[in-house]
Amino acid sequence: MQNKYTYISLLALILLSSFTLIQNSEVTPNFTLETSQIEFEAGSPIELKFSTLRKAVPLLYCSSSYGSTLIIPTYKRKILIYKIPYSISSKIGVVNWKLIYEDSLVSGKLQIRPKKEVSSMETYIGPPSIEAGGTDYTMLVVIPTDSLDNPFPENTLVLAKHQFLNSEKNEEIFTKNLISYKNIYSQKESGRILVSSESLGTNSKEFSVTVFPAIPIDFKISAKRPHGYADGNQITTFSTSIIVDKHNNIVSDATYVTFFITNEKGNVLKTSGATINGIATSKMIHPDYETQWSVKAYVDGIAESELIILKYKQVIKDFEVVFSENNRDITVGTLQSFMKQIIPDGLQVNLLIYKNNTLFKTETKTSFEGLVNFNLKPDIYKNDNYTIVVKTAGLEKTFNSRTLW
Amino acid sequence: MKETSNKHLIIAILLGLAFHGTSIFFTLETTYDALIHVFFADHYANSWFEPWNYEWYTGFTVMSYPPLVHQSIGLLSMIGGLKFGLFTVALLSILLFITGVYRFSLLITSNRTVAGYASILAVFSSSFVETLHIFGQLPSIIGISVLLHALPEIYLWLKTGKLWYLATSLSLVAVTVTSHHVTSIFGMVFFIFPLIGMVIFDVSSEQVKSIKEVTFKLFLNNFFKLFKRIITFGISSLVIIIGCILPYWINSKNNPITQVPIPHGSRDNFLEITSSGLVFFLIPWGILLILLPYIFYRYFSKRYIFFGLSITILTILGTGGTTPIPRMILGETAFNILTLDRFTLWASIMSLPLLGEFAYRFIEGDLKALIQSKFGPIYHRIIGGVLAGLFIFMSIFTMSLGYFRPLQPQKIKMLPIVNFLNQDDHDKWRFLTLGFGDQMAWLSAQTNAMTVDGNYHSARRLPELTTRPIERLENSKFKGVAGIGSLQQFLTTPEKYNLKYIFSNDKFYDPILYFSGWQRLRQLQNGIMVWERLNIAPVSSILYKDDVAKWQKIIWGVLPFLTLLIAFILNIQMLLVNALKIRPKKTPAFLKQSNNYSKFSNSILKITHFWSILLMVILFYSIYQFYLNNDSQRIPENVIVAYYDALDFKEFEKAYSLIDPESTITIAQYMLEIAVTDGLLSSYAKLDAIETVITSRNDSLATARITTDWVTPLEKINRVDYKSLSKHHNKWYIIPEGLDTDLPPDQLYSDSNTSFFNQGRRRITTEQTHHEDVLKQPVLEVLSAKLVKYKGHYAIIGEVQNIDNVPADVVLKGTLYNDDNKSLAVYNAKYHVKHKLLPKESSAFRINFEGIAWSKTQDSIPDTFNPDEFTPLDLDEQPTKFNLQVAGNVSGSDLYKNIAISELNINGKIINGNLFNSGIQEVTVPQLLISYYDENKTMLWVDHLFIKEGIRQQRKKGFEYEILNNGIVKIINDGMENVFVNGLPNKPISNKIIPNRIENHTNTELQKIKHPDFSYIKIETNSYIGNPN
Repeated sequence: MQNKYTYISLLALILLSSFTLIQNSEVTPNFTLETSQIEFEAGSPIELKFSTLRKAVPLLYCSSSYGSTLIIPTYKRKILIYKIPYSISSKIGVVNWKLIYEDSLVSGKLQIRPKKEVSSMETYIGPPSIEAGGTDYTMLVVIPTDSLDNPFPENTLVLAKHQFLNSEKNEEIFTKNLISYKNIYSQKESGRILVSSESLGTNSKEFSVTVFPAIPIDFKISAKRPHGYADGNQITTFSTSIIVDKHNNIVSDATYVTFFITNEKGNVLKTSGATINGIATSKMIHPDYETQWSVKAYVDGIAESELIILKYKQVIKDFEVVFSENNRDITVGTLQSFMKQIIPDGLQVNLLIYKNNTLFKTETKTSFEGLVNFNLKPDIYKNDNYTIVVKTAGLEKTFNSRTLW
Repeated sequence: MKETSNKHLIIAILLGLAFHGTSIFFTLETTYDALIHVFFADHYANSWFEPWNYEWYTGFTVMSYPPLVHQSIGLLSMIGGLKFGLFTVALLSILLFITGVYRFSLLITSNRTVAGYASILAVFSSSFVETLHIFGQLPSIIGISVLLHALPEIYLWLKTGKLWYLATSLSLVAVTVTSHHVTSIFGMVFFIFPLIGMVIFDVSSEQVKSIKEVTFKLFLNNFFKLFKRIITFGISSLVIIIGCILPYWINSKNNPITQVPIPHGSRDNFLEITSSGLVFFLIPWGILLILLPYIFYRYFSKRYIFFGLSITILTILGTGGTTPIPRMILGETAFNILTLDRFTLWASIMSLPLLGEFAYRFIEGDLKALIQSKFGPIYHRIIGGVLAGLFIFMSIFTMSLGYFRPLQPQKIKMLPIVNFLNQDDHDKWRFLTLGFGDQMAWLSAQTNAMTVDGNYHSARRLPELTTRPIERLENSKFKGVAGIGSLQQFLTTPEKYNLKYIFSNDKFYDPILYFSGWQRLRQLQNGIMVWERLNIAPVSSILYKDDVAKWQKIIWGVLPFLTLLIAFILNIQMLLVNALKIRPKKTPAFLKQSNNYSKFSNSILKITHFWSILLMVILFYSIYQFYLNNDSQRIPENVIVAYYDALDFKEFEKAYSLIDPESTITIAQYMLEIAVTDGLLSSYAKLDAIETVITSRNDSLATARITTDWVTPLEKINRVDYKSLSKHHNKWYIIPEGLDTDLPPDQLYSDSNTSFFNQGRRRITTEQTHHEDVLKQPVLEVLSAKLVKYKGHYAIIGEVQNIDNVPADVVLKGTLYNDDNKSLAVYNAKYHVKHKLLPKESSAFRINFEGIAWSKTQDSIPDTFNPDEFTPLDLDEQPTKFNLQVAGNVSGSDLYKNIAISELNINGKIINGNLFNSGIQEVTVPQLLISYYDENKTMLWVDHLFIKEGIRQQRKKGFEYEILNNGIVKIINDGMENVFVNGLPNKPISNKIIPNRIENHTNTELQKIKHPDFSYIKIETNSYIGNPN
């Protein structure tokens, strides 16, 4: 029973309230918009005029995509004039306004359009370097803007212009969602693309995109040397053929090429070079013993050369070893090269000293005027029997149980 | 009684201002501390009420040091700049010190002439000269000087009980504490307590006929009588000491010093480390050493007995680590925090009145009479001359110490650095100086740019710094391996600190900078080399700040100057009253005491004579010992040490003089041979320890085994050399050894290579969004990456390749995660990667996860730390995943690749080989990166080797590498899904450039080895060029 009254009173309340609403809307508006123009050009002065019978000076709430503000009007002969601030009138888009006065519901919207002339072309291009071959591309983004930095409406025509080698292209693109863009694909050649754009008679500045060659393909190598002797002094120069990519572009300078050299002992030596105009050169000092080099060059994971074989002939046929001063002074030499000339200074001679068949110490010296002299100091080599092995140029001489004293 | 001006005091002031006032302009800026105070002053000048300073240590508070002196310099800097402020305050401190000594001496001796003598002697006292001209401890000097001024006022308060004196004494105590906290705390103990005792004696002696009749009972009675005054003064000065610098105490409580003890010379054993003994004992004591018996005799007389106790304790504490007593008295903590030289300073200042007294008695008093009567007037004059001569000698010697042994690097012109930092927003990053000495504080005072280093180690907060016993990063080489170890953490992970620029004034650090991935930018006009690191973000615009309450800031900004003002009004007003004779001046109570200067004790004269002779014997003995140790050619050991020292300090002419003259090497040849040797050992190593064992010796020949330890920026090197020596004309010489005779084939040759130049921004603009000039980051590809565990160390290893068309600088940053995706550790690749890669070049890498060294075991820092060794991170949880972020940036520098492996031999565990330099640059430090593979050619580990000697052009250099010991590498995770290049996923990016990569392409060229755990290795080369031409 009690519920019934509750419902009735609730319904009555709803009815009553709707009634009041209807009554309010029937009241004639206190403020009437006098300005009829609702589209403006950006930057032009915008004034909203209202006629009013009341003497009140209400504020105008004004909101655009850049923010909201309240505007105080000037009041002249029953006309209220609201001046939309420049910060709002200079930006394109919709401006919503609403008068704030007690129960007033006067509101509306304005449309601000960009100026007619393009003053600058907001242009971005990236990445600034792409790869040749036709799959990589760079994207040109152009936003024609007016002098107030407003973008132009949809479907404004933009000409995307680019030059590459002998071709110059002009392509029409249209703005969409305020921007226009174009993907510029590389061609098979490497080089430089110059890009610019134009819209409504205004041109952008020049942009450039570098087209780098693609990854290299297999190549050949060669070796150049003054002679084929293993003198441990002269230098062999390895060169690649001109390394190109699959579109025959010379690979970019400083491409790193590793030359792996496997000698007869199965040990891997290594030298490297960086290309200039596609050719990588690399140097290696000659071995000082007879051997054969298998050389192959790689661009790691990408390309390789074929294998070349280089033979180095023995230069030192034999050498003398002289012991003196209680066998503590050991002179090796004279070491002679292939024409019996004294071998250039710096040939390594290793002295391996074994004590009771285990390696006790290794001494290394380099030749000077064909001779190498070792002095076995008594502090290190106590008086005892040693086996002395002299190694140089891949040769080896063993002197069993020499007594040092 | 009409009081005449004290001529001695006036002379003292004039002499003091003339002598110190002119010399500070040549000494103060090269002292240890002065520039730190200037930096603090600059802080106050710019933000008086804001205690937080961002410039040092990623931010610290200046509330960690009493502010008065800094604020005074800061205030004066508004008139004539910071240096003007510094010198003005220094002049004031000289004035304060001389007058302070005068008043203190007057108080002690009650004799104006004696006090006048004391003030003149104070001008030249070696401890003052040292504190001002060598240490530059202005707050300390001002603190003690003001305390000396306070002592007579305190005496008068205790004696007379007039509140006025309480006010003046407290006002001076307040100035003391706002100048220097330590002085006021220890000053209470060592100066004021004995003073209280003296007052009680004086009061007691007035009640009996002479001081001799004062009994303990009487003393105690008077103590209780004066107790109220004593306790009033005690409590109110305690309140002042706490209250005036309250924010300091709050800060000390909130941020207790976590710094591990930093070794200080004043804590050394002076007998072992004689240089510390000289600086912290001999110099400050100076001539007072001779008078020690007199000083102790006088201070242990009844009236001064408490001063006697005090000076005894001060003297003992000042001996540092020579005896275990200071450590026992102070306790381990205080002993390791305090610098003990201040105790000697106070002891010497406490002795000054008695020095004045002695001088008075010697020059015109009873001592003169006694000596003349005993030994005759000539002896008196000679002794006088000797003493005066010694006194002046100590003063000159102390003043010029910095001339003979420069305390600081040469003065650096800061303007080019300041200009560099202001250019192009360089101050948006932090910087670090290397080899600047204390001048780094002066640089900081002149710029707003921030540094990770700093010069006030008590205020440090970064655990990377507080756990290290080093003063500054910038002089880490002097702190041996611990210093370098600390520095390398900053160099490896600079992005953590937004550290982008390093100003290096010391080429020693170059190799570590290079191998940690830094590159040379350019040399400034002042010769400072600027190094930069790519891929570092600028400092964030909002920085952490440990803010304090506003009232603290106000107290800190206002109170110190207020104390100064009040003290000035109270004390200077008295002076004015006296000077203008407004009211008749009463003789201060302490002048009523009198000393009997009529009979100098005969026994003291004898003891002093005996003591002087003893000192002389010690002196001559130590000079003789010094001669023996330094006569480089007397015994073979000496010549070896002298030779290595000469080489270490690059004194090649001296080294040559130790070479056997019969070896027929000319000095030109010798110098040439030295000049052509470059490398880690000859150019970047500092001799750390040398041990010589003479293995055989006869009359004219000897051979020695020399074990040397070298600290280099990269690693510790241990070497064993054998040298032969010969003796000619009683002098030992070193027999030189043969040279590497390797002869290159070409005299002149050419080499072509591609060089790169990065314009930066083509247009001269600081605009950060100038898109056209922003280069694309080079694309890198991580060929493999895995998380491995080897011998308890976690590491990320793998291979990275530059697949772009431009050379790249590579930064690798690894993060470890556990199963719950919790991040456990972050670190960057340090030595185990080639940081600069040419297009298509690849490099093996390894990221070690280093902890902050020794942070857990603070007290067990190893004595022999190896910079190459690292502290493995102590992980609580098991890392199971990793993330690898690789960043490439275009870089055109350090692209020298002309090092070839020209010979390789494997004998068991040893790899011998030769490196050949085929290019046109001399390689200073060659490096090998050795990757290990298993039998399936799967990469397991990466190791490195620095070759100790450089390689000249077209020359070979042998190397020897020991294959790693047995140890199974456990691959924890080899998933590549969390590998990112320039923020993008690795695989999709690389697929665009190399869609059909030949996987494991060069695996066919791996070197086979015989090893139970590894089957193959690969060797790559990297090289540091010290002097590119």
